[in-house]
Amino acid sequence: MAQLGSTTGKKNGERVAVVAAGVVSPLGFGLAETLNSLRRANDCVTDVTRFSVAECRCKTAGQVPDDRLLAGPNKKLRAKRLHRASHMMIHALREAVMQVPQFEPELTIIGTTSGGMSYGEQYYRSLCRSGNLRHAPTWIANYPAQKPVIDAQEEVLGVSAPCQVIANACASGTNAIGHAFECVRSGRYQRVLTGGYDALSELVFTGFDSLQASTPEKCRPFDRHRAGMVLGEGSAILALENLELARKQGAPVLAEIVGYGISTDNFHITQPDPSGVGPRQAMERALQSAQISADEVDYINAHGTATIFNDAAEGKAISQLFNGVPVSSTKSMMGHSLGAAGAIEAVISLLALRHQFLPPNINFEALDESLDLNVVANESRSAAVRTAISNSFGFGGTNASILIRRVEA
Amino acid sequence: MSLAIAGMGWVTPLGNGVDAVWERLLRGDEASATPISEQFAERSYSAFRVPESALTGLAHPRLRRASVISRFAATAGLDALQAAGVKVNSQNAGRIALIFAISNGGVIYTKRFYRDVVETGAQSASPLLFPETVFNAPASHLAAILGVTGITYTVVGDGAVGLLAIKMAEDVMMDKSLDYCLVVGTEEVDWLLCDAYRRWRLLRSAPPIEPFGKQKRGMILSEGAGAIVLAREGRITIERAHPGGCYGKRAEAEEILKRILRDLSQVEIDFVMSSANGTFIDQAELGALEQVIPGAVTYAAKPALGESVGASGLWQVMLGAQALRHGELPPVLHASPAISLRLARSRMAVTGARRAIILSSGVNQQGAGLRLALH
Repeated sequence: MAQLGSTTGKKNGERVAVVAAGVVSPLGFGLAETLNSLRRANDCVTDVTRFSVAECRCKTAGQVPDDRLLAGPNKKLRAKRLHRASHMMIHALREAVMQVPQFEPELTIIGTTSGGMSYGEQYYRSLCRSGNLRHAPTWIANYPAQKPVIDAQEEVLGVSAPCQVIANACASGTNAIGHAFECVRSGRYQRVLTGGYDALSELVFTGFDSLQASTPEKCRPFDRHRAGMVLGEGSAILALENLELARKQGAPVLAEIVGYGISTDNFHITQPDPSGVGPRQAMERALQSAQISADEVDYINAHGTATIFNDAAEGKAISQLFNGVPVSSTKSMMGHSLGAAGAIEAVISLLALRHQFLPPNINFEALDESLDLNVVANESRSAAVRTAISNSFGFGGTNASILIRRVEA
Repeated sequence: MSLAIAGMGWVTPLGNGVDAVWERLLRGDEASATPISEQFAERSYSAFRVPESALTGLAHPRLRRASVISRFAATAGLDALQAAGVKVNSQNAGRIALIFAISNGGVIYTKRFYRDVVETGAQSASPLLFPETVFNAPASHLAAILGVTGITYTVVGDGAVGLLAIKMAEDVMMDKSLDYCLVVGTEEVDWLLCDAYRRWRLLRSAPPIEPFGKQKRGMILSEGAGAIVLAREGRITIERAHPGGCYGKRAEAEEILKRILRDLSQVEIDFVMSSANGTFIDQAELGALEQVIPGAVTYAAKPALGESVGASGLWQVMLGAQALRHGELPPVLHASPAISLRLARSRMAVTGARRAIILSSGVNQQGAGLRLALH
């Protein structure tokens, strides 16, 4: 097991607090519903209803229900034209801002993979079938990846901070939080909004199906019978602030982000290096960044897509670095929400720290024989959780891990 | 903290190579527009394309199936590293960060992939094309070619994204263990993009781009890549990078640009690199420039090179660096004599120039700016 002492780490800078969080996912709207779903080990994956999946192997996904998503108290009529991704961002940001109404971000850093892709699909379908293009300007205007970020800021904050949108495939959300963490830790920024979003789209769904990365069965991370991923969607926001400043101003401190690691393994555009070197480097660098040892980690929220290749590489890296630390992939409950996944899973890790429990890895029957992992199988359970690591890995060999720590009152 | 420009690489419709493109711009050359059509549509458009000959020298197994956007980026990125004298190897691969700026991404393969789905059904979807539709595909190809093992980010946005990527590079380079950051902006053109911008009333069907015109006749899209190696020390520095801003309505763009210009013009400025492209952003830039730094010498390259969106910000910075280095500006093409700005209407000497503002306003609600200094 690796022992990472402070001599190998970066110099610590400012401490970085999470002062607010908001989330929308198939697990529910808001922190309370999400916590409830996690504790009850709800399977929130359902049959896909947004588009036809008749010709796909996979027929299911984690979906955010439109009846609640689009019924939010959006102030303006233009909200009707916004993409579902914008609505998700609005819900998540609104929940976060209710916890810290005075929060004025200097910068917003958000991860996504596909922006308003379904509007692009509607536009293309209308074009090549000589359909009605009356709404084309709306689709085009709401398609860009930065649009949901700007929409949410305007709708909820009434102002728009400068925004950087990171599109690092499935690692986007964790990269966004990690970079935001570094921005505050360096002292260059005091308050940064961060997170991720993605809405289900036919193009992306079909793409993963074409790679045979998605499964017609249940999503079973780390299981010997795992057969692939299911997709999901959602959004999560974290408000980060210089911890000292947050305390001075009486802001709630939900947790502290203490480390970030990123690596690029260059093995293949869609597959991880089977040695696990990419995930291992990302986790090692997060530990070095936090100047803590692997022994101090109490919970691992794994990337755990349930594909053969990801879970083998990640599982190998985890067992090389950690000795029996509880692991779960909450994608088993809600699907893989791509650019949102890292942000939603950061919020789930935060809930684990605050409520002292381990979120479950559902649909689990038996551990892959080649892995040596302590999987939190099928049910959540109470545990002392002081430090959690959350992993996200993506196409292109991009790997990211963040470390979150409980802050005692 | 200020970072220095250590090397640059350029793939444009006017050719490759920083000095070669610069010479053509100084001569007043304009890229040739080529027609671009689509099998299911009657309407055709004009775009400034990169000549195929520009990519002939590049052969790498990783790029075998890659779209042209990745090839543009790899060519420009490798040229920039060579110009900076940086050889990436296993010893320094972890000390180099890679940041990509992209707006529309791999639209050619995205369209091909989805066309198969729409026309033939999901069972025809290509597993070879899908990975190339992902925004970070160009960055991952270049990272693999170079062997970069640490930070690789792809930032997406509108025409301002290039400067936002440089701002991100500045933040990333706060980590003292990094020696260099390679920032690459890249874009490819497709009929679908032209049609989308046209329906949004931002594109005209044929050149020229008329900068700062009140008629707002629209832009012509172009493609290519720009790459800049940022280092700790050098003669030309990014003296200040503004974090940028977002505007909700088009009418608010000018306010964002004024805020950026006020921040960047607190020292004497010798010239401004504008992002004027023939759309509504020109009037926003014009209004902001006239109010905040009236009389500033202004150059706009898009009439000559086209609107390359994700690559355009990098191109502007490279032009600013070249103008500071050589002490002259190329002529602004197709500008009406009635425009009140002090435009470089013919090749103009800016001898002794020390500082330039690069101003970038995108059409999708983002604005950004930075200040270059010559030491």
